[in-house]
Amino acid sequence: MIDTKHQIIFNAEDCVGCKLCYKACFVDVIRWDEEKNQPVFKYVEDCEHCFWCEALCKKKCIKVIPDFASEKLLQTFDRYL
Amino acid sequence: MDMYGHENLRADILIIGGGVAGLTAAISLKEINPELDVLIVEKQTAGYSGKACRGGGVLQYFDFDKITPEQFVEYHVHNIGCHLGDQELLLKYVSMNNHMLDKLVEWGAKLPKRADGSYAVIPTGPMTGIIGVDLDITIRLRRTAEKMGVRFLDKVTVSDLLTAGDKIAGATGYSILDGTFYTFNAKSVILATGSQNYRIGPMWGSGRGDGIAAAYRAGAEMRNPEFGNFAQLVRVRSHREVVYGENYMYNQLDEHITKNFRSGPEPDISSTAIAEWFMQMSMARGPIILKPENHGGSLESMWDRPFGSPFWKLNEEWADKVDEDWEVCPMFIGEQSPVKVDHSMQTTIPGLYAIGDASYCGSAAPGAVPAPPGRNRGSGILNAVFAGIVCAQSAAENANNNSLPPIDKTQVEDCMTRAYAPLLRESGCDAKDVIRYIQKAVGPMERSVYMSDHRIVTALRYVEKAKELAGSMKASDFHDLLACHEANAMVLSAEMQFRAAAMRTESRGWFLREDYPEMDNKNWLKWIIVKKEGDTMKFSTEAVPYDKWPIKPNV
Ligand SMILES: Cc1cc2nc3c(=O)[nH]c(=O)nc-3n(C[C@H](O)[C@H](O)[C@H](O)COP(=O)(O)OP(=O)(O)OC[C@H]3O[C@@H](n4cnc5c(N)ncnc54)[C@H](O)[C@@H]3O)c2cc1C
Ligand code: SF4
Ligand code: SF4
Repeated sequence: MIDTKHQIIFNAEDCVGCKLCYKACFVDVIRWDEEKNQPVFKYVEDCEHCFWCEALCKKKCIKVIPDFASEKLLQTFDRYL
Repeated sequence: MDMYGHENLRADILIIGGGVAGLTAAISLKEINPELDVLIVEKQTAGYSGKACRGGGVLQYFDFDKITPEQFVEYHVHNIGCHLGDQELLLKYVSMNNHMLDKLVEWGAKLPKRADGSYAVIPTGPMTGIIGVDLDITIRLRRTAEKMGVRFLDKVTVSDLLTAGDKIAGATGYSILDGTFYTFNAKSVILATGSQNYRIGPMWGSGRGDGIAAAYRAGAEMRNPEFGNFAQLVRVRSHREVVYGENYMYNQLDEHITKNFRSGPEPDISSTAIAEWFMQMSMARGPIILKPENHGGSLESMWDRPFGSPFWKLNEEWADKVDEDWEVCPMFIGEQSPVKVDHSMQTTIPGLYAIGDASYCGSAAPGAVPAPPGRNRGSGILNAVFAGIVCAQSAAENANNNSLPPIDKTQVEDCMTRAYAPLLRESGCDAKDVIRYIQKAVGPMERSVYMSDHRIVTALRYVEKAKELAGSMKASDFHDLLACHEANAMVLSAEMQFRAAAMRTESRGWFLREDYPEMDNKNWLKWIIVKKEGDTMKFSTEAVPYDKWPIKPNV
C-alpha cells in the first residue's frame, strides 16, 4: 500500500542491538544506526504492517500501530474508494 | 560516473533473490557440486525477506496411496488450467510432492508430524490435502545454505541483466544503503525475484516485479502476462483476506449470492465470485457480507508452529480490533509471474533461469489462472521449491560447460546511467505519483478481473499516464531510487497485462471478460508471448501443443 499513516513506536532504552528487526523488514523501513547500535525507523510510510519486527524483538521494544483507514481498497464504489 | 563506488564480483552461479526459490536453488546447486561458487544477491535480507515467511504457512500435499499424479493433472486441466497448462510440467510437479516435503525437512524446515512420524495432513478435498510449515522456513534454509558455503550479499538490488551475444553474462545493481554500484559476472544467472503485486495487498507488498522487468529489458520472452490479476475477498476494515469466503456471500436482500455463480464445490475463489460482487454492488444490493457457517477455526491446535504464532497473533489481534462485522470487498493482489521458461526453468536467454513466483505463469504449468495460489492452495512455496530443484541441474551443467563470459563495458555504463538517472535529475515527480496511476488501472475489479474492451482501454489510459510521468521521476535517496525502479517495473507489467488482456477475446479459467463470456477453443488455445524489440513491446501468440498431452480439449 502507499499513502498510509501507520506508526511504529520504539523503546530505545530496552534495545540490546541484536539487529533482528533490521533484518526482518522485507521492505526497507528499518535502517541500522552503527554508532548507537540501534535500529532507525526511517521509512515508516512504507511499512506493510507485517508485524515481523515486533514479533521477533525479544525485548519487546517495538510496537507497530497500523492505520487501516489510510489503506485504500481502490474500488469504484464510494465506500471502498 | 563512479560517484558512489564500484565493485566487481564473480561467481559460477549468481542467484538474484533470497526467498524460498533462490535458497532452494542455492542448496540444490551445492548438493550437485559443492565446488560451485554460488552467490545470492538480495535487495533486503535473504531468509527474512520474500513471501514464504509471511504467508499462511501451508503446503500442498498429495496422498499417492489414494490418487495418482495423472488423476490430479486431469482434474486440474478440466477445472483450473482449462487446457492452457503444460500437462507434462504439472505432472512432474505433482509427482515430486512427497520428495520435496522430505527435502525441506532435510534442509531444516519444520513440518508438523503426528506421533507416528507421518506428516500432519489435513484433507482439503478428495484429491488434495495441506500440511503446515513454520514461518522460519526461509531462515532455516539460509542457515543450511551458509553451512554449504553459499555466499550472500544483502541490501543490494539488481537493476539490470548483462548479456554477451545471445547469452547471459551477469547483472548490475546497487546497494540500497550507500549506492555502491555492483557488476556481477557469472556463467549461469538464476532470477528468483518474485512476482508483480503492484504494492496493493500489504502482505504481498514485496513483489514489485523489478526482476521481471530486468529480464524483459534484457530480451527474455514473457508468457501469460494477462494472468496477473488475482484478487481475494478481504474484510473491509482490516483488509485481511478471507480464504474460501466466496462460499458464503450474501447481499442486503439476504440472498445467498454464491448460488448465482457456483453450482457445487470449487477449489478456491473464482473470478466469477468477483464479477458477482461487482454486479450486486452495481445494482445497489450491497454491501456484501459473509455468513460463514464455520469461521474456519484455528489450525494451531493441530499444527505446532511456534515461530509463526506471535506473528499470526498480532495480525489477528489488530484485525479483531477493527473488524465489526463480516462486510467484504475484493482486493487486487496480482501475482503476475510471466517470465517464460522451459522445463529446466531456462528462459529464452541461454544461461538465464527464472524460478518461483517470477516465472510461475511463464512456465505455463498452472494454465489459465494467476499463480500462486492458482486456485491451488499451498502451491506457491512448493512451486518455488520445485523450480529451484529443477533449475539447479541445468544451471550447474551450464556453469560446468562454459567459462566466464566477457563483460561489455558499454553495457555496464548504460546500466549505471539508467540506474542512477532518477537520483541525478534536478527535479521531477515522486515514484508514488506513478504508482498511484498504476493502482488506478489495476485496482478496480471491473478493470482488471471482470474485464471488457472499454474498461481495458480505460485502464490502459491510466498506464499511459503513469508511463509519461515515469520518465521524470526524481529520487531523494537510495531507498527512493529503488522505489523509482519498482515503479518503472509496475508500468511495464501493467502495460503487458492489459494489452495482452485486450488481445484475448474470450473467457477462460480465471480470465473473465463481460464482452466475451465464452471459452473459445477454436481461436484461443494459445499463449500470448511478449518480447522487447527495440523500443516496442511486441505481442505474438504460440499455439498450445495439446496434441502432445494426454488430456485433449474439445476443439
Ligand atoms: C500473505 C501470503 C500468504 C501466502 N500463503 C501461502 C501458503 O500458505 N502456502 C504457499 O505455498 N504459498 C503461500 N504464499 C505464496 C508463497 O509465499 C510464494 O509463492 C513463495 O514464497 C514465492 O517464493 P519466491 O522465492 O519465488 O519469491 P519471493 O518470496 O517473493 O522472494 C523473492 C525475493 O527476491 C528479492 N528481490 C526482488 N527483486 C530483487 C532484485 N531486483 N534484486 C535482488 N533481490 C530482489 C525479494 O526481496 C525477495 O526476497 C503466500 C503468499 C503471501 C504473500
Ligand atoms: S529486535 Fe529489538 S532488541 Fe533487537 S535490535 Fe531490534 S529493537 Fe533492538
Ligand atoms: S511491520 Fe513489517 S514492514 Fe513494517 S517495519 Fe516491521 S518488519 Fe517492516
